[in-house]
Amino acid sequence: MTDTDSDSEAATDGGEEVRADGTGIVAPDDETPTWRERKERSQGLSRLTYEYFERARREDQDLREESTYVERDVLAFPTWPHELIRNLSITFFFVGMIIFLSATLPPHIAAPADPSTTPAIILPDWYLYWSFGLLKLGPLNPEIALLGGQKLMKDATYGVIANIVVVGFISIVPFLNKGAARRPVEQPFWAAVGVFGVTFAATISALAVKNLLPIDPHLLFDLALLLPFVTGFVTYALLKTMREGYMFSLNRRYYRLRPPK
Amino acid sequence: MADEFAKGLFVLTGGLLAWMVLSGWYTTESFEEGQLIAEVTVSQIDIYATIALTLRDALFWFMILGALTFWVLIPAAREARAAWANRESGSK
Repeated sequence: MTDTDSDSEAATDGGEEVRADGTGIVAPDDETPTWRERKERSQGLSRLTYEYFERARREDQDLREESTYVERDVLAFPTWPHELIRNLSITFFFVGMIIFLSATLPPHIAAPADPSTTPAIILPDWYLYWSFGLLKLGPLNPEIALLGGQKLMKDATYGVIANIVVVGFISIVPFLNKGAARRPVEQPFWAAVGVFGVTFAATISALAVKNLLPIDPHLLFDLALLLPFVTGFVTYALLKTMREGYMFSLNRRYYRLRPPK
Repeated sequence: MADEFAKGLFVLTGGLLAWMVLSGWYTTESFEEGQLIAEVTVSQIDIYATIALTLRDALFWFMILGALTFWVLIPAAREARAAWANRESGSK
């Protein structure tokens, strides 16, 4: 962009400097900015942003006025340049970061894996520790008195069934609660269930790597099952307490985004 | 306010990035253990190593103090000045 716009060339912004105070471009109406907003737009990045959008809006308006096409009332920005300039700058930043890091800190390439030996510690990737931890719930497998103190199923089978139960519960939750709450304090019980689940995921993951943790395994086992309840109850109590001063029903009415059933 | 946050974030992340690169060059034993914070690994400390290690320490403190400055000190100073001005105008 240069300053050498000739008069014959149609200036897309109307040929005059964009006034950032909100006057002149459109007639004052309900959307006329307040004095505070005008002050915020008067300098620096906020002014630039404002001019950018105001110019885009102006271009859109001019095109609409020039056009004979009546139903051209589309509220959007053109892909070029508006969207692509932004996306390209983001892309260039991350490509540059990748090149910079690969040039300055080339990754260490370890010795090739030996397929003929089994490593001492076998673990899944970290995000599957919770499932691996569920396989270690053997101590919970009950011994049935009717069978003479025998177990109904093997500990391994029990662990697999524990996986099914947990995954089943997770998939049922969206049907039990539709997620109408905008914030945790509106539904303390379900917020507590969520905190319970997050804590349980962490503790059961810790149980999966109990060989590597400097904690007594029995204590870790107890903690893995008790801590989720503790955090869940604390969350529930806390949110219930917060609800007192929250004017819950008022907010619920005010922020209701879905129609009542 | 938002600008100060962006400046602090830039100082923090930029300083951390440069610190990480220098640490990867000079104080990384291997990528298995002792990454970035090991003892100096080069055998002979020449002029480049001296500059890099000095810069590494400087960047570390620049990162911490810069973020503290933009996120804590400057806003606190502004608040204090506003409070002081309030008090002055209130007493008149």
